[in-house]
Amino acid sequence: MIFRTAGQYKTSYEADQALFPVKQDFYLVLGILLLGYVVFPLTASEFTFKALLVPVLIYALAALGLNILTGYCGQLSLGTGAFMGVGAYATYKLMTIVPEMNIFAAIFLSGFFSAAVGVAFGLPSLRIKGFYLAIATLAAQFFLVWLFEKWAWLYNYNASGAIEVATSSVFGITVTGPTALPIVQYYCVLIVVTLVTWVAINLTRGRYGRMWKATRDMDIAAELVGIKLMTAKLTAFAVSSYIVGVAGGLLVFFWKGAAEPNLFDIPLSFQILFIAIIGGLGSILGNFLGAILIVALPVILNLIPSTLGIPVDSATLEHLNVMIVGALIIAFLILEPHGLARFYAIIREKFILWPFPY
Amino acid sequence: MNALATDMATEPDAAAETASREELLRVDNVSLSFGGVKAITDISFDILKGEIRAIIGPNGAGKTSMLNVINGFYHPQQGTITWQGKERRKIKPHEAVSQGIARTFQNVALFKGMSTLDNIMAGRATAMKANIFFQMFWYGPAMREEIEHRKKVEDIIDFLEIQAIRRTPVGKLPYGLQKRVELARALAMEPDLLLLDEPMAGMNLEEKEDMSRFILDVNQEFGTTIALIEHDMGVVMDLSDRVVVLDYGKKIADGTPEEVQGNQDVIDAYLGVAH
Repeated sequence: MIFRTAGQYKTSYEADQALFPVKQDFYLVLGILLLGYVVFPLTASEFTFKALLVPVLIYALAALGLNILTGYCGQLSLGTGAFMGVGAYATYKLMTIVPEMNIFAAIFLSGFFSAAVGVAFGLPSLRIKGFYLAIATLAAQFFLVWLFEKWAWLYNYNASGAIEVATSSVFGITVTGPTALPIVQYYCVLIVVTLVTWVAINLTRGRYGRMWKATRDMDIAAELVGIKLMTAKLTAFAVSSYIVGVAGGLLVFFWKGAAEPNLFDIPLSFQILFIAIIGGLGSILGNFLGAILIVALPVILNLIPSTLGIPVDSATLEHLNVMIVGALIIAFLILEPHGLARFYAIIREKFILWPFPY
Repeated sequence: MNALATDMATEPDAAAETASREELLRVDNVSLSFGGVKAITDISFDILKGEIRAIIGPNGAGKTSMLNVINGFYHPQQGTITWQGKERRKIKPHEAVSQGIARTFQNVALFKGMSTLDNIMAGRATAMKANIFFQMFWYGPAMREEIEHRKKVEDIIDFLEIQAIRRTPVGKLPYGLQKRVELARALAMEPDLLLLDEPMAGMNLEEKEDMSRFILDVNQEFGTTIALIEHDMGVVMDLSDRVVVLDYGKKIADGTPEEVQGNQDVIDAYLGVAH
């Protein structure tokens, strides 16, 4: 009943190709946006912003970037963390060279740097596929993190070897640095994530999306219908690395406040890959669901004993946490190997008829 | 199949008609080998504009290799290919598409994770040009292009009667329909020459009859030239204007279905020779 489309007639292809051809989807997204833009800011505490909302959004964005490459174009990559680093370091350098630059301009510009690096490391994809390509991107991971450590110019010859975010403001409001309010930073991240997600949806449902998916599903046939595999793969690397780079910029400037090279090491790449896989490869929604499971759930689990007044040692809690999240990931993957997004799709399908049997 | 036979018989004399037709593609002395294995040896034939040309032969005769040579997937070691009167240099498959050669595959080669509609839209890849920046915002030229091509794709969907499965992921479709979607995707490329690699393989009689009707319709309504490989001799003899017969990579016969059927070499190749 809930998702019934009876009575929603389309009289033009334009209407049929709209962002939300089904009214219920539109209202659902509207509701989520309302929650994100109005309800959370009104109710959330500083801790919620810092530990839950902002990281979920940033990780979801990074996973979205990876998903375009791995989920849509079928090119496995293990270099996500390093590409995020490129975005972060590029933003940092842009802000040191031109301190009066708008931070959003810097972040969106730095995406182009990570896109260029992504394309360069994506070149092997023209010859190799699958696990072998994953190894090639792993080279990017090691090389770039090494570069972040050794190339002192990147961190302005700091003694600590880390990059630290300076205070900057947009329209008189402090958005980065230690004095920035969490709610302001939350809004900044939310706006960027909303915008990039919308762009990603547009790209994946249009010409480029079809090129990527065709390359993923059967590359030989794609070539024989006139798709240039080189263009398809390299645009996927570029768009993916761009989004990942933007996520890296957000990670450092709107959340962490400072970063050392090892932040962008393999564990970050794997975490993003897990979010994309558990959320669902080849889906936009999945990245957000995956990020909630992987990033937000441990934080929430940590809070449960203290709010219920159960005395648990913090080390034990940490172990319990890892075990519970691990078990949940395995349970979800057994229940639905195609990820949480498919889970949602099945539920949605059910609700077309529900509560009637047919 | 009988209905088809009478259909063909009522047409004007096919042989006389083809004689006056222009040459679309010509293959001259083409040889192709993989290492020491000779797939094709010194084959020459032509395909005339608007005809249905069948390529037949026993298994391993080099039929599919021949199609792969025509659409630029394989590059022959010897021989020349003349396309629309001009000798063709070495090309890539996607260049063959923009020149007007489309094909379907022996084993269905659809994009399984995509819907029928997206599969056919993918067939218009070379015709779509909108800039990535317009694509990003689904705005202006990108949206207009999407709608314009959607119209063409919907015409093909109507033509092949697959409206009901428009939104279904092709991986979930039965085999016969998948073959039809593949034909739709090839038609979306608006080819001058359509290469069909065993379009009826694995189909039941009814599906074969449907497919035969579609092939004839494509040929007559769109004027598309068709080269097809098929093992069902009834289909081949009824549909095609002229037939090339290959065996062990060599051409053993070429002519109208009647001529080929009476050819002793062909009979030997299919039935074997008494020793």
